[in-house]
This record gives sequence, structure tokens and C-alpha cells, in this order.
Amino acid sequence: MPDAAKVASQVSALPKLGLGVGLRNEHFNHILSEKPDVDWFEAISENFMDSGGRPGWIIRQIAEHYPVVLHGVSMSIGSTDPINETYLQRLKTLADDVQARWVSDHLCWTGVQSVNSHDLLPLPLNQETLDHVIARVHYVQEVLKRPLILENPSTYASFQNSDIPEPEFLRALSDATGSGLLLDVNNVYVSCFNDGSNPLDYLESIPFDRVVQMHLAGHTHCGSYLLDTHDQPVTRAVWELFRLAWQRSNGASTLLEWDGDVPDFQSLHQEVLKARDFMQGELDTTLVTQEQPVQKHTNVSNPVDFMVPTIRNHSRLGT
Amino acid sequence: MTDTTLRNMQEWMQNALTQPHLVQKEEVAARLTSSNRLSGSQRLAIYQRSYISRLCMCLAEQFPASREALGEELFDNFARVFLARDPSDSYTLYELGRRFPAFLEETQPDGVDPDSQPETWVNFMIDLATYERALFVLFDAPGHEGNLWPTSDTPDEDLVLQPCFNLGAYRFPVANYYHNVLEKSGSGLPPLAESYVAITRYDYFTSSIPITGPHYKFLQAMQETQSVDASLGQLATSIGVPKENLQETWVTHIRDRWIANHFFVDRNTLSKE
Repeated sequence: MPDAAKVASQVSALPKLGLGVGLRNEHFNHILSEKPDVDWFEAISENFMDSGGRPGWIIRQIAEHYPVVLHGVSMSIGSTDPINETYLQRLKTLADDVQARWVSDHLCWTGVQSVNSHDLLPLPLNQETLDHVIARVHYVQEVLKRPLILENPSTYASFQNSDIPEPEFLRALSDATGSGLLLDVNNVYVSCFNDGSNPLDYLESIPFDRVVQMHLAGHTHCGSYLLDTHDQPVTRAVWELFRLAWQRSNGASTLLEWDGDVPDFQSLHQEVLKARDFMQGELDTTLVTQEQPVQKHTNVSNPVDFMVPTIRNHSRLGT
Repeated sequence: MTDTTLRNMQEWMQNALTQPHLVQKEEVAARLTSSNRLSGSQRLAIYQRSYISRLCMCLAEQFPASREALGEELFDNFARVFLARDPSDSYTLYELGRRFPAFLEETQPDGVDPDSQPETWVNFMIDLATYERALFVLFDAPGHEGNLWPTSDTPDEDLVLQPCFNLGAYRFPVANYYHNVLEKSGSGLPPLAESYVAITRYDYFTSSIPITGPHYKFLQAMQETQSVDASLGQLATSIGVPKENLQETWVTHIRDRWIANHFFVDRNTLSKE
């Protein structure tokens, strides 16, 4: 079993990358041709790890110019199915190829009995789950030969047999394995709203010395619950939460996720650059989105359709 | 007494997503807490709605022309039945549509267009979905980009089919239909007419090249033998034409055009990949 203290020291040595943007299909051409002044990119691991085509070529081009971090959605670290060895090996190969600064995924499970729901499903947070996830994180870190960084998911339901608050669960997991944390501030806000708890209390319990990265994203207010839709600007409440978190994070690398109705690259980049003003406490709050409940929506939580490549622009009828 | 082990909880929740009609309210209450705004069942329903909508959106991305042909509502209905019968078993969404054409074939969604013969329409949908899946797979399959391509000077004995190649025989001109949909230039049910299509990829663009029946047989033989000479021989036997005649047609009408359309690579460059 790897030494948790050794892994923890590796986590502490991870670089502070600044303000990054999620790598999305819509922006591939712009990034390659314009080489925009972005600190770093986060790529969805599953979009690239099996690619023999354009996505695989793109990420290798981008990795030559920018630091790249890999962010996964299918490791299913909390599942009671065996860990998918093929997946892990391909993830390792990709991480080595693009010199990923780190590899992250979510504290969740995506399926059992060989089914993948392609959702980030919630775990009952108790000692049984903690022991189970600790063993699997140890194993993953051993195979990947690098620390695993785990993100707090957005959740919509809680279990009767949960008895460990999520920040404490993450702290215990990190203590036992040395793994790092990806603190998604929007997810904190969404989960706390949906559970009727206080996001400030959540932040109070987070082990900020383990936070390597933070995520920002927009959500949809559906009246009685919030959906983590990644399809609109960050709301004022989430920016305020980010300001508090960033001040305690010792400069964690920060990234904006935007997966639905993706704007042009410049608009996306401008949105994440607002973080600079929040870091310095100078943001003009009239520039940020005020949250309004929507009457009707067709959005989904944790959208994944953006991960399917749009091949229509790369197909032609020959003669 | 509810079994609250992690394994049991996960099996229960997954079943609740894939078979929501079987969920019992009492069991939800025993497993999930209410919030100050929503009951456990209402909270579970957020996951249930998103599960099916999310994957329907992914299938729609992979089969845009099939969705156009069926209409959004009907396509989504088929997608829902398909996903309930064949839930994803892969870590990658790229595999989500793998069994969709076979599903259409097995379930025979007849009667979707009252103006056409049901069987005709079903066959069209099956062929269209098969073509769309082939295009999708080739987009991201290992190819020959970054390597040298053959020229008209490359000898026949060095020509083999390129790694990113698909050969299809259809009962309808599905490649035309697909590209008409993309160009928004009409998408009515095309006439029943056999079509043969070779799909190649160059510089990460797929090209669908219409070919004839004999071309199709020749390329089938190429897939089997990876030899131009042997394939010409097989075709000659198959259609009852002297091989010398085919050889002449190959050299004068086909060879250079197919090399230019990236049907082939030089086997010597392939061996270095």
C-alpha cells in the first residue's frame, strides 16, 4: 500500500496553474489557431483516452502549448463493481502522454452490475463507504503512479444511513490516502441548497490544505431545487462563496466549466477572468448574474452530451 | 428491514433509474431523506429525469439524421425504449449507440410514416442508423494521419486498404440523405435504391464515396485479402468477366481516383505505424 504521507507531499507540490478553462469541442479550432492567453486547460479524460482520431490529435497539440489537467467522469471510485482495469491503464497512458499536471474525478459512483448511468451518483456517507473508497483510492494511485484528486459532486438526494458530513468524509479520505481535493464551489452551493444546509458551514469543514483545484460553473434554479447544468454564467452567490474559498485555499488553480449552450471562447474566458476581481475583492457586482428561478426548463444535471463529438462538421460526400 | 449495505443501495438506486416504474414509495422513504423542500421520492425523481434525458441527448448527437427522419418525439421514444433495454455498459459515451441499429432491426418500429409502406420505412431507418454509426466510429478510429500516403507511382502490390475505412451496402441512398439533412436541403424518404458507399478518412475528415456493386465486391475482397491482384481475380470469378478486362478498367478508370480519395495506404508505411 502506498504511503499516504508520500502521496500527500506530492499533492502539496502540485503547481498553482492560475485560471483555466474547460477544453470543449467548439473551441478546438480557435485554440489551435489563435493560441489564446489562457493559463491552462482541463480536458475530460474519457473524450481523449481512446481517441485514434481528431480529439486525440487535438489534445496532444494543446498539451504542447498549455498545461493540461485530466478530469474524469467514469472512474466510479465509489462503485461496488470492480475497478475497470482497461480504463485505468488508458487513463494512465493519456496522462503520461500529455504530461497531465494531475488527474481528477468525482466522489461518486456511476453504475453497478456493469451498467454505466453516465451520472455522478451520490454515495451514502458512512464508515462502510469510507473504508471502501479509501481502499480503491489507494489502488488507483498505485496504478496511476500519481495522486488522485477527487471532486465534491453536486447532489440532489441524501441517504438515511449517511452519518458523516461530506467535508468530513473528504477530509478523512484525504488523510487516509494522501489524495487531493477539487473543491467545486458551485457544487457546494447546489448540494447545500438541495439538502437545506449552509454552504458556509460546509466550507468551514473543508481541509483547504488539501485543495489543489477549484471549479466554478453556472446552475439552474428550478424553484425547489438547483440543477448543476453548467450552461450559464456563475451566479453572484457562487462568486461570493468562491471569494471565501479562494482566500483560504492558498492560491488553488481555478477553472470554469461550461458545457451547455457553450459561448464563444472569448466570452468564456472573460467569465473565468472575473475570478481575478473576486480574488482581489474588487468585482463590480452589477457585472455578475443574479439568480432567478426558471418556470420551465429542459436542462439536465451533469450534462454529458457535450462529450459526444460533433462529427457533422468533419464529414463530406465525395464523388 | 431494508438492506443498507453499499452494494444493495447501489443496485437499488440504479434499478430506480433504469426501471422507475418499479420503485416503491415506502422503499424510497426508507432509504432517502426528505429535504426542507422535497420528499425523498421527489429528490430521486431529479436523478430519474436527468438519467434518461441526458442519454437521449447523447444518442441524438450520434444519430442526427435518424432523429430528423423519425422526428424528435418519436426518436426520443425509441431512444428511451432502447436505453431501458440496453443500458450503457461502457465507460465511454462513444459506445452508447453501438447497438442502436441492431435494436431498430430487432424491434421493427413499423408504421411510423403512414404515407409509406411500413417495411420500407423500417428498412430505411435501419440502414440510416447503420450508416450514421459507421461514420461516428470512423471519426475517432485510429487512422493514417501523420504518415505518408501512396501516390499513383505506388505499385499495386504495396496498396492495402487504409486503417480508417468502412464499406457499406444499403437499400437506400443513406449517405446522400445524411448529408442533405446536414445541409438542410430536404429530408423526405428517399426512393428505394441500392447504394454502395466507401467511407475513408483523411486529415480527420471522413468522405463518403459512392461506388458501384462491382466496386463493392472488389473492396470486400480487398478487406479479405489486402491484395489488388487477388481481389481482381475474385471479382472476375464472381461476375464472370476476364481478369484482363478488369485489370484494364482498374488501371484506366479506378486506381488513381481511389488513391486520390485515400482508399489505400502503402503497406510499407502501415507496417511502421
